[in-house]
Amino acid sequence: MSSDPEKMMSKADKMTKLTLTRWSADWRGATELYEQAANGFRASSKYERAKVALEKASQGQVMQSSPWDAAKHMESAAALAQKLSIWDEVADFYRKASELYVECGRAQPASDALGKAARALEEVKPEDAIQLYTDACEILEEDGRDQMAFDLYRACASVYIKLEKFTDAATFFLRLGVAADKCDATNSQCKAYLSAIIVYLYGHDLKQAEKCYNDCSQIDAFLKSDQNRTASRLLTAYNEGDIEEIKKVACSSTVSNLDHAIIKLARKLPTGDVTAVQMNAGDDLDEDDLT
Amino acid sequence: MTVINIIFRVEEICKKYDKYDVDKQRELGASGDDAFSRLFNSIDTDIESVVHKAELASTETNRAAAVALNAEVRRTKARLAEDVVKLQKLAVKKVKGLTKEERESRCDLVIALADRIQVIPDGHERQANSEWGGASAPNKNIKFDISEEDMDDGFFQQTEESSQFRQEYEMRRKKQDEGLDVISEGLDALKNLARDMNEELDKQVPLMDEMETKVDGATSDLKNTNVRLKQQLVKMRSSRNFCIDIILLCVVLGIISYIYNALN
Repeated sequence: MSSDPEKMMSKADKMTKLTLTRWSADWRGATELYEQAANGFRASSKYERAKVALEKASQGQVMQSSPWDAAKHMESAAALAQKLSIWDEVADFYRKASELYVECGRAQPASDALGKAARALEEVKPEDAIQLYTDACEILEEDGRDQMAFDLYRACASVYIKLEKFTDAATFFLRLGVAADKCDATNSQCKAYLSAIIVYLYGHDLKQAEKCYNDCSQIDAFLKSDQNRTASRLLTAYNEGDIEEIKKVACSSTVSNLDHAIIKLARKLPTGDVTAVQMNAGDDLDEDDLT
Repeated sequence: MTVINIIFRVEEICKKYDKYDVDKQRELGASGDDAFSRLFNSIDTDIESVVHKAELASTETNRAAAVALNAEVRRTKARLAEDVVKLQKLAVKKVKGLTKEERESRCDLVIALADRIQVIPDGHERQANSEWGGASAPNKNIKFDISEEDMDDGFFQQTEESSQFRQEYEMRRKKQDEGLDVISEGLDALKNLARDMNEELDKQVPLMDEMETKVDGATSDLKNTNVRLKQQLVKMRSSRNFCIDIILLCVVLGIISYIYNALN
């Protein structure tokens, strides 16, 4: 066995090509060589070559009907692609790895792979990241492991918030609430609903926030919780245009236990004093009309 | 024989020998005279009983009972005061066989009686004095006599002590409230932490179960493998084979040495 990875690669390639002398490809030997070559390349920091070697090794494993090893190789290839900042390949490789994991019947690693992909692409390609997060959540939900999906939902919603798409972020929080409901995770559920309401308020959408609040109040678990009280205080403060009260609520301990992104939004909450004053004026008019 | 029986018997005996009781006869005799003396005597006895009750009340340790007794004493005093008024009217009336001096003395008697009634302690003033040190002692007979002149600035002015007291009370209450706020914030944080921990543990439970089944499977596999390995080893390294190996080795060495010797 030559120690030069390039030689190993070429040898392995020869082993897999079908020629007159070779009637069936020797995938086992080839895969071994590919793996060794990849290690050699990694040691010498030739990440591009290592990545190619890992790809081929993974294919070899697939041919040998061991999807688990194939998936592992794919993940390593994807990690290298991430290092090289080749984002398309990152997404592709992680997706393939995830499919292979699903073939093994292991949902958790599959969704983990997609989660890693999404995290890698968050900065660079947020839309793809969102898609990856959604797929990861679906895989988990199909398998009935909703609890693991909480973190993914939260990450996805924070990506939406960074993109300033508040309605979508709030939708994701509501989906989190649904997942939490299935697992009887009342604390997470209530926190999700409160986060959704805060996101709506941050997006200057008081009516949506109120509608959301009314919907959520139908749910017993939310009705009896601290988060419900905080939400109602916030909404009344908004309706009365009481900026002091809004700030006080935003600094309360209930809000401080939510996600970081949400806390930041809450602290900035009276988004533009315009909204608060508008509501105030609106109320005055109503009173006049009644009299 | 129970106490009740003893009491009844004693009463019977007393009734039997009542005619020998000098004081009682004198009483009965005296009260036979006219309305005045009768009323006088009855009021007298009532006063005695009230004084007795007042003494009981002052020595009573149970506050509720003391208050009840005092209330009774006051009620009786009020009734007696009314009776004294009636007595006074009777005293002034002209009765047969009564001299002028006697009538005057009767008026004096009535006044003395009224004083005696007033003097009876009913626990009202004493308590008032002991508990409300700074405030003025209320009258025994409660009179609602707030006139307009009284409602000037001086009437509702707080004394220095009371305003200081009030300030101190407010300060202490504020401090208590602040302390309670701090505690409540801490408790909120603890509660949230505890809830999150609870959820996290709930998440881990099915994972742990899975791990348990997998580890169980792995242990049984391992046990099987170990047993088989041992069997193989035993087969490979059984002592019989070992001895045979050694003997053959010796034979081979012997042959080699023979050849070597033969060559040399």
